[in-house]
Amino acid sequence: MKKLLIISLVLLGLFVFSAKIVFWTAPNPLQEEFWKPLVEEWNNNHPEAQIDWKTIPAAGSSEEAILTAVAAGSAPDFCTNIFSGFAAQLAEQGIIIPLDEEYGQEFFDLVKTRKMENVIEGWKLNNHYYVFPIYSNPILMWWRKDKLQELGFDKPPRTYSDIYEVAKKYANPPDRYAMQVVQGRNWWDRWFDFITYYYAASSGKSYIDTKRYRATFNDEYGKAVAEFIYTMFKNKWTAVEMGNQFSLSTGKALGVLQGPWSLNWAKNTYPEVYENIWISPPPVPDNYSGGPIKTFADTKGLVVFSHSKYKKEIFEFIKWVFGNPENDVRWIEITKMPPAREDLTTNPLFEKFMKEDPYFAAYAKEVGNAIPPALVSNTIDIQDAMTVYLIEPLMYLKSTPEDALNKCVKEINKILY
Amino acid sequence: MSSKLRKRENYLGWGFSSIYLIYTAIFWGYPFVWLVILSFSKWNFFGTPRPVGLKNFIRLFSDPIFWRIFLNTVNFMVYFIPMVLILSILFALALYRVNIFRTFFALSFLVANVSSGVAYSILFSNLFSESGPINSLLYKNFGFTIPWFSDPQLALLSIAIMVTWKFVGYYGLILFAGLNAIPKSLYEAAELDGATNWQKFWKITFPLINPALTTVLVFAVNLTFGIFTEPYMITGGGPMRRTLTFMMHIYTTAFQRMDPSYAASLAVITGLLSYGCVLLVRFLVEREVSLV
Repeated sequence: MKKLLIISLVLLGLFVFSAKIVFWTAPNPLQEEFWKPLVEEWNNNHPEAQIDWKTIPAAGSSEEAILTAVAAGSAPDFCTNIFSGFAAQLAEQGIIIPLDEEYGQEFFDLVKTRKMENVIEGWKLNNHYYVFPIYSNPILMWWRKDKLQELGFDKPPRTYSDIYEVAKKYANPPDRYAMQVVQGRNWWDRWFDFITYYYAASSGKSYIDTKRYRATFNDEYGKAVAEFIYTMFKNKWTAVEMGNQFSLSTGKALGVLQGPWSLNWAKNTYPEVYENIWISPPPVPDNYSGGPIKTFADTKGLVVFSHSKYKKEIFEFIKWVFGNPENDVRWIEITKMPPAREDLTTNPLFEKFMKEDPYFAAYAKEVGNAIPPALVSNTIDIQDAMTVYLIEPLMYLKSTPEDALNKCVKEINKILY
Repeated sequence: MSSKLRKRENYLGWGFSSIYLIYTAIFWGYPFVWLVILSFSKWNFFGTPRPVGLKNFIRLFSDPIFWRIFLNTVNFMVYFIPMVLILSILFALALYRVNIFRTFFALSFLVANVSSGVAYSILFSNLFSESGPINSLLYKNFGFTIPWFSDPQLALLSIAIMVTWKFVGYYGLILFAGLNAIPKSLYEAAELDGATNWQKFWKITFPLINPALTTVLVFAVNLTFGIFTEPYMITGGGPMRRTLTFMMHIYTTAFQRMDPSYAASLAVITGLLSYGCVLLVRFLVEREVSLV
């Protein structure tokens, strides 16, 4: 009886005094499937550091939900699904901690273990690392292989002129266009069109000089990209609106930029399209002479909030998850998104994906060529200005490419100033 | 009345009103005071707001986006108010004349008003899309399509059409109540004097539904300053910021740009503009109506 009482008291003590570490992850069924068993396993083996895992609450966006929670004093201890611009905003306010400063050498050891020493450089902000990158999604072109072959092409278009050639043979507005050049008018759509094209054309040059805080994309590369977008709209080889269905499925367009998250979706929703895709790097100017074509990386990571009392326990958990490459294998199996590590093509653990899934392999190969967005806290305003002063004037042919580009850079510099 | 009874009645009165007063203090008074404080401060969700005087308002009046939205709002009013007013009057007149299934017709039109904004925005966005049924029909029969939401000028009109569809039933019923309040004897007397239908409408109906008409106009003006769901869901404020509204800008400024104090100053000015327009409408339209 005495023993039972002692055991009960110990258990009660553990329950009452054990740490309850609040952890939020992306509200995405596939990512939930990844995290659920991991958190359960951790909780079973660490009664003193229990993780209270939830998905980011429903809101207009993850950022909005996190901001509301921070303002209300109910923010988690650590959280995934943070993009670099948002991390910069949070870091500027001191809401998240610099991981290198908090964890010192242990942080760099983990970076080395997970083979992400180059990847992490893209996340440097004021000489610190606030985010632990989890995945890195290169944005690549999807082309309708069957239709291009019917037109006599044996490989996907590489340069702007190649695309013009396809357009001359295929475009017949309003039924058919060569490609979907612009993704939409949301601020984040600029990642998946102009910024991707710019990275490709400039061999990965940043569109914002984060040291001088100036927009720098009104250079020869920016001009080439703007000219390309303008030419496509002017000749009606692309359209402002592509309809509500996936443009490749209806044949409305033959090419569009996509991230690897679309693979699972296309496989289930448009199996006939999925069977007939060529995946290639984004288009480049005709005179492109750089090395491998760079692209944009839609990459998200994990941050630790300053208010947390369990920073040590959190890092133990991060080390436990990301120090084990088997967890990255599971990540790929479930989400089909490349983890932010540089050994995807060389590590035997990932070999089966590279061999069995050519589409995943196409994305995994480009992880090293994929560059995150510029680390600035005014991401939304900057990309909104890109929409209003660059993309829309080009779409509606309201301005010449050069004028639109200069005006856009001027407006962005006002925001940065 | 004895002082004891008066006291008791006093307590009772305060007791009944207190529910409303407490509710108002918590859910209206507190946010309103906080909003005004914020509009004169610099705050970004964290820490304590720092007073900045009129800085937010100076920034606001020199912000080209503010003036773009102001023009959009005027433009929306120019489309929406005549459209909704004419259609609501027609609906009310039709309902007034219909003798059978009146409730059914009234309810049918009200369905639009109680529908979820998100749901019908998706519906309209599909209906008016480039490959939607309307454009497909136009293209098949006439060889052209209408860029309902992608043309800078048409997009605002398309949204005005959607909002009109939503509110015709509701405003129509208010006008219908106004029509019902007009004594039939006035029409009978006018008929004896040989008045035509047109004359009866302009000399009797129109002046006598003035209170209902003013109510509808006030509602419509207020609504114009509060549009959010439709442009947010369908156009995202574009193209060329032509469908950006005050509410959208307030929301994105506060929750996406992390600038709630500037958003608060925008909200204050939007409220004042809306109030000013309502006063103007009442001054221009409202007339004393007396049947005695």
